This record gives sequence, structure tokens and C-alpha cells, in this order.
Amino acid sequence: MKKMMALTLMLFSFTSFAKEINVKVSGMVCSMCAQGIQKKFSAISEVKSLDVNLDKKIVNIFTHDDKDLEDATITKLITEAGYNVASIERK
Amino acid sequence: MKILSIFLFIVSAGAYAHPVIYQGGWALSSSNMPDYSNNYLMYSPSNRYSVGIDHWRFSQEAANTEAALLKINHLLWRDNGENHQANIYLHGGGGVVDQEWGSPGTHGMYMLGLEADWETRRLYTAIKHYEFHAPGKLDMFTTQARVGFSPYEADFKSLQTWFMLQGMIIDEVQEKVMITPMVRFFYNNVLWEMGSSTRGDWMLNLMVHL
Ligand SMILES: [Cu+2]
Repeated sequence: MKKMMALTLMLFSFTSFAKEINVKVSGMVCSMCAQGIQKKFSAISEVKSLDVNLDKKIVNIFTHDDKDLEDATITKLITEAGYNVASIERK
Repeated sequence: MKILSIFLFIVSAGAYAHPVIYQGGWALSSSNMPDYSNNYLMYSPSNRYSVGIDHWRFSQEAANTEAALLKINHLLWRDNGENHQANIYLHGGGGVVDQEWGSPGTHGMYMLGLEADWETRRLYTAIKHYEFHAPGKLDMFTTQARVGFSPYEADFKSLQTWFMLQGMIIDEVQEKVMITPMVRFFYNNVLWEMGSSTRGDWMLNLMVHL
């Protein structure tokens, strides 16, 4: 029984909920930069919403429940928009 | 030509509404003054290139010289810094020019251009140089340099205001550098500029990224 519970708990911990990913972007200096980045991420089905903070140069990505975005995908989208990824942080 | 070198020396390079934008993006731009206008629509298949159509009008009193071109823009170099961005662009295009002075008539022509910019959230400098050639018929150039500052940092989705000074030379059209103070407004993907040159010519520009 204990084993079962432990297993269930483990399974639960593997189930992913919506994620918040904070991406620090370099080269982002105006709202047109922000808009381009927003456009690239809005086209991705995993992405629920997006917040761009020009002050901190951070793009906050919120994914749909059970969805994640790989670092490689994030880097690719930021690069295609014309900018560079400085760091990726997951919450 | 001397003035041009001085300009190139003083300011280093471009435009906040960039000719090459994010992959899959469209850039629409319209710049207008009594002596000239430039309208273009560019599509960026990658973040390094854009292709599109470009139209120029240069006016000398009642006579106009107009050029229509297919154009390719290349982002040659970009520096994405923590607090700044800098770019160098190359421009090339081919098309026709309808000339009302010099050698009047419609001629095949090509254009070449170089553009560079450096900007932060509060400062902006840019320079653009374009040359238009129809062999044996037309050789002209225009050079623009800009410096600007924004009194505050606007976040995404809010209005940003800039104060700018543009110096512009249009070979064959003006004898002196045309100095135009202007205000630039920036909201999301739309940018518009209004100004009046020191000799009283109006200026109205609009740019949209889609
Ligand atoms: Cu920008």
C-alpha cells in the first residue's frame, strides 16, 4: 500500500501543469522588438500567454496545462525574431 | 560629397523601423516631405533578409523623378547588447525610373544602399545612404542622418515619444542639408513621425510592422 502511494505521488510529480518560463533577451530595445517576439510565440500551440517586460528585458512565457517548451524551441523563436537569449529560467 | 563624408563621420547609422524584421513579418513604411517621398512594403522570409517593392519620388519644383523597384535588404550585422541594439543593412534593387529632368524619359535603373543604426530605449542614432543609377541617364543619391532621444522609457503596450533631428541631403534636389526636427510616436507595432524642416517643409512618416 505504501509503495502504491509512493508511486502515485511520483506519477503526480511527473504530471506537468502550466509552466512559467522567464527568458532574458538581449537586443530588445523597443515595443517593435517586443511585438515581433510576441508574434513568434503566439503562433506556438503550447503557449497560453506571454508578457514582455522591456525594463527587465524579460519575456515571460506561460504554457497551457500539460505543455512545456524546450529551451531549443525558445532559443530558435527568439533568434528568428532577431534577438539573443541571455538566460532561460523555469518556475 | 564633402558634406556626405562629414555626415558619415559625425553620426553612425539607420531606422528604428527596420527594413528587415522578424521571420515571417511584413514592414510597411511611408515617408513624405514636399521634396521627396518613399513608400515600401517588405516581407522578411528570415531575420536576415527582406524582399519587397519600393517607390521613390524626388521633386524639383514642378518636376518629379519617380523610381519603382523590386528590392532586397540584407541585415549584414547585428549586435544585440543587454541595453542596446546596433545594425548594419545593405540594400539593393532594380526597376524603372521615370525622369522629368536631366535625361527625361523612362529608364531601367538600379539602386544600392547602406544603412546603420545604434539604439537604446532612450537614445537613437542612424544613417542611411542610397544611390540611384540609370547608366548614362541618372546618378543621384540621398543621405539621411538622425539623432534622437526619448524623455522616458515606455513599456510594451504603452506610448513612447521621441524627439529627433534629421539631416537629409537629396542630390540634384537640394543645395543644402535639410534639417528637420520631429517628434516620433511609437505604439506597439505602429510608429509615426511629424516634423517641420527649418525652412518650413512639413514631414509625415508612418511605419507598421505586421
Ligand atoms: Cu525594437
